[in-house]
Amino acid sequence: MNPRLALARLLAMFRKRKLDRELQEEILVHLELAEHDALSRGLMPDEARQAARRNFGGIEQMKEDQRDNRSVRWMENLLRDFRYGLASLARDPGFAAITIGLLALGIGANSAMFSIVDAVLLKPLPFPNPERLVRVWESTPNGHNGTTTLTFLDWKRQTDIFEALSAEGAFRAALTTSGDPARVSGKVVSADYFEVFGVKAQIGRTFAPGEDQPGAARVVVLSHAFWRTHFAADPGVLNRDLMLDGEPHTVIGVLPAGAFDRDEAVVWKPMIFAPDQMNRRQHWLAPVGRLRAGVSLDQARAKMNMLRASLDGVIVQKKWGFTVDPFMQMLVGDTLRRSIYLAFGAVLLVLLIACANVANLALAKGATRRKEMAVRAALGASRGRLIAQLLTESLILCLFGGAAGVAFGALLLHLAAPWVAASLPFTADLSMDLRVLVFAAFALMAVLVLVGLLPSLRSSFGKLSSALNQGPRGSSGSNATMRRTIVIGEVAASVILICGAALLFKSLAKLQQVDAGVRIDHVITMSADLPAAAYPTPDRAIRFYEAIVQRLQAAPGVEQAALSQGLPLQGVQWGEFLNLPGVRESLLVRLKLVDPGYFSAFQIPVQAGRGIESRDRAGATPVVVINEELAKQLSRTFGIPSAVGRTVSIGVPGYGPIPESLVTLQIVGAIGNERTAGLNAPPELVAYLPLAQVPRQDFKIVVRTRSAPSAVMPAIREAMHQIDPNVPLGDVMTMEQVRENSILWARQPTWAVGAFAGVAALLAALGLYGVLAHSVTQQRREIGIRMALGAGSGDVLSHVMRSAFAMLALGLAVGLAGAFILTRVLKTLLFQVSALDPLALAVACVLMAAVGILASWIPASRATHVDPMTVLRDEG
Amino acid sequence: MQMLAVNMSENKTDVPYGTLDLIILKTLDTMGPMHGYRIARRIEQVAENFVRLNQGSIYPALIRLEQQGWIGTKWGISETKRKVKFYSLTRTGLKQLSLEVAKWERSTALVARFLEAES
Repeated sequence: MNPRLALARLLAMFRKRKLDRELQEEILVHLELAEHDALSRGLMPDEARQAARRNFGGIEQMKEDQRDNRSVRWMENLLRDFRYGLASLARDPGFAAITIGLLALGIGANSAMFSIVDAVLLKPLPFPNPERLVRVWESTPNGHNGTTTLTFLDWKRQTDIFEALSAEGAFRAALTTSGDPARVSGKVVSADYFEVFGVKAQIGRTFAPGEDQPGAARVVVLSHAFWRTHFAADPGVLNRDLMLDGEPHTVIGVLPAGAFDRDEAVVWKPMIFAPDQMNRRQHWLAPVGRLRAGVSLDQARAKMNMLRASLDGVIVQKKWGFTVDPFMQMLVGDTLRRSIYLAFGAVLLVLLIACANVANLALAKGATRRKEMAVRAALGASRGRLIAQLLTESLILCLFGGAAGVAFGALLLHLAAPWVAASLPFTADLSMDLRVLVFAAFALMAVLVLVGLLPSLRSSFGKLSSALNQGPRGSSGSNATMRRTIVIGEVAASVILICGAALLFKSLAKLQQVDAGVRIDHVITMSADLPAAAYPTPDRAIRFYEAIVQRLQAAPGVEQAALSQGLPLQGVQWGEFLNLPGVRESLLVRLKLVDPGYFSAFQIPVQAGRGIESRDRAGATPVVVINEELAKQLSRTFGIPSAVGRTVSIGVPGYGPIPESLVTLQIVGAIGNERTAGLNAPPELVAYLPLAQVPRQDFKIVVRTRSAPSAVMPAIREAMHQIDPNVPLGDVMTMEQVRENSILWARQPTWAVGAFAGVAALLAALGLYGVLAHSVTQQRREIGIRMALGAGSGDVLSHVMRSAFAMLALGLAVGLAGAFILTRVLKTLLFQVSALDPLALAVACVLMAAVGILASWIPASRATHVDPMTVLRDEG
Repeated sequence: MQMLAVNMSENKTDVPYGTLDLIILKTLDTMGPMHGYRIARRIEQVAENFVRLNQGSIYPALIRLEQQGWIGTKWGISETKRKVKFYSLTRTGLKQLSLEVAKWERSTALVARFLEAES
C-alpha cells in the first residue's frame, strides 16, 4: 500500500458520515438516470423503476463493499470500540473518575520519582564522553584523601593517562561591582578544568594554558545563569572587570547554559599555587581528570600504582596509595543512592497497590456487566471481540490516567525540586523529559496488562445461561475470591511500606534526640570572608575580629557573640597530625579555630583547665584546648592521664601568603565534646586553637540572642556595615536550621517513604472498603432474610467485620513476613534502630489495622441498616 | 478485490476478475469526464452482450481508483438536473492506464501462446 493510499484510507475513517452520504446521493442519481433512460425507451413507470433497480444490483452489499474498499477495517473496529468505551465510561463517571485518579496518582508519583532516579543515577553525565571523567585521590587505609600540590603536579605530567587534570577548590568573595557588596561562590581551578568536562565557552573563551601560573593576569569565567542575572545577558560582557574582594578580574568567557548553572559556583578563576603550597605534606587537592581516549580505568590505576612506587622516596604518607575512580560514582554518595532506590521502590509499591485497586474496581464492574457481555456473546460477538472491547475500555482509562499522571508528575516534580535539589549533584537535571515520558509509557503498558487483561479475560468467560439466570442475587464465587486476594495483597504491600516508614521515623527521632554537645536554641550563624587586599596581614584580621565582636556584643538583643572557623555538625575542614615531643607516633586530629566567646556561646562546658581566653593573642604563648574525646585518646595512646599542661606540636594553617608551619602548643584545657561531623557520627578528636593566634580570612559569626534570632539580624548587619561595609554576610542560618540541614540525608528518604506509605495505606483501605461495600450490596437479600429470621444488627455487623478481619489479618501476616525480608535494605539508613525493631513493626501493624477497621466499618454499619421488608419485596 | 455478482439467469459472463479497473480507466480515457451512471452504461454498451454488469459494482472500484489518485472527481449537474459526481482521468491515472494496458497485453499474449502450443 503506498503512502498516499494509506493516508486516503486513514482519512476516510474520519469522513465516514460524509462519504456515506455522498455515496447515497450518487446511488439515488444513478437510479433516477437509469429510470429516466428506461422511460424514454418506452417502459411503464413501474417497470422502469424495477429495471433500474435490477441493473444496479444489491445496494446494501455494494455499500459494504465500498466501505471495505475505502478504509481499514480493524481500525474502524478499534475506533468503534473506542467510542463505545467512552460512552460506557461516561455512563459510569464515578468509576471512570476513581480509576483515572488512581492511575494518575500511581503514574504521576512514579514519573516524578523516576525523573530523580534518571537524573542522578541513570543518565550519563551531561558532558561529552562522560565515562572518561575521573576523580583522582590518594587512598588511605580508611578511604580517600586529597593530595598535595607537588604530587598533583606529578600526576598532571602523566599525559599518557590524562588528557586533562585539574584541581578545584571553592572560594567565596565579596562582589562589589554595584551597590552593596554581595557574597558570591566561586571555584579556583586549573587552567584545563573545562577541558576535563569538555565544555567550551559560549561567549569568549575558557582559561588558556599558563593562566594558572604565578604572575598571570586576573581573569574569570562566568556561569550562564550569573551572566544573565548579573549582566542582563549582555553580549558585551567580555573584558569587563568584575570586582571580587575589591580586586578587578577581567571577564574572559561565559559558559553555555546547563550543568554548571546548577553548581553553587557562579565564577571560576585560575588556581595559582603559592610557593608555600609547593610541598607534599598538605593534602588539600581533590583533582578531577579526563582519561585519554582508549585508556581504561584499570590501565589508569595500574599506571598510577607504578607512579606511586617510583615516587616512594619523596612521598610523606608512606602508607597511602594513588587511586582513580569514575567521576559519576564519586558524585553520588552511597546514602543518596540508597535513599533514591528506596524511595523508588516505595513508589513502585504504591503504583502496584493503585493497580490492584483499579483491577479490583474493574472486576467489580465486570461482575455487574456479565449480563451485558453474555447478551452480546449470544448475539454473535466472538470472545476475542468482547475481550478487545474490554481491553479498549481499559486502554481508554489508562490513556486518560497516564495523561493525568504525567501532568501530576510534572507538578510533583516542580514542587519537590527545590526541596531535593540541594541534596543532588550539580549534574542532575530534574525535568519531565522524553526519557521520563518513555518510562511513563512503559509503566502504563505494564498497568494495562495488569488491570486490563486479567479482568477482561475473567469477565468474558461467563456462560450466557448462568449469567442470565443468576440475576442480581448471590456474590459470584471465583470473582469474589480473586478480589479478596487482591485486597490482602494490597494490605500486605502497605504493611511493608508502613513498617519501613515506622523504622525510618524511629531512626529519625533517635537522630534528633542526639545531644549535639552544644546549646542550639537562640543562636544565629552567618559566614563572612575578609578580602585579601584589605586584610593582607594577620594583624589586620585580628583587629577586625576584636572590633566586630565588641560591636556585636553591644548590639541590642545579643547575649554572646563569637567567631569560629566552622560550625558544629558541619564537619571540620582542617585535619592535622598532632605529635607529642619525643614520640614518633602521631594522631590525626581536627583543627578548629575559635575565639574566646565560642565555648560560652554554645555553652560547651570546660572540663579541665580553661577555655580559650582573650589573653591568647598573637605573641602570647601558643595554646590549644582539646575536647574530651582527644583527652581520652591521648591517655589511651600515650598513657597521659591528664593532658592539661602538656605541650604538643601541630601543623598550623597560615594566613594569606604566610605558609603553614609546625607550632609547639601548650594544652591549657579540655572541654566537652561537640558533634562536629553530624549527629550520627561519633565525636571526633578535635583541637581548638585561638583564632587570634591562627587567624583566617573565612570565618563564621555565631550570635546567641536573647529573643528570636531573626529579630536581631538587622542589628547584626548594621554592626557589620559599620565595621567594614565591604564584607558581606552570607549563609545566614539559625543553629536549628544548621542542625536540620545536617540530617537532611535522613529526613528526605524518611518523609518520602512515609508519604508513600500513607498513600499506600489509604489505597489499601479504599480497596478493603470497595470489596466489602460491593459484597454487602450483593448480599442485601441474604442479610435481609437473616434479619427477618431474627438476626440482630450486632450479628450482621460481626458477619461483615469478620470477613474484614480475616482479610486484614492475612494481609498483616503476609506483610510482616515481607517486612522481615525487605526492611534489611534499610539497615545502612537506620540510626540506632534495628531493621526488625519490634516496637516500630508493632506500631506499623496497629496503624494498618486501625485504618483497615475504619474502612470496613462504613459498609458494615450500612449492612445493619438493610430493611428486610424492602429487600424481600424488591427482589422476591 | 471483490467478486462481482453474476446473473445466472442470462447466458452472460461476469466482468473478468481484475479487469474492471482497467475498463473504467480506459472508458474515462476515451470518453472524458463522466458520472457513474454514464460510465456503467458505456461499459454495458461497449461490452454489448458479453458481460452482465451489476451497475452498482463500479462504485467500490471508483472510490479505490480515486484513493489511488488515478481518477479525480468534480461535482456537476446530471441530465435530470441533480448534483452528481463527475469522474475524470488524472495524469497519474493516464500513466497507470498505459501500464495496465501493457500488463494486460502481456498476459493475453502469454495465454494465447499456450493455446497455440496446445493445437
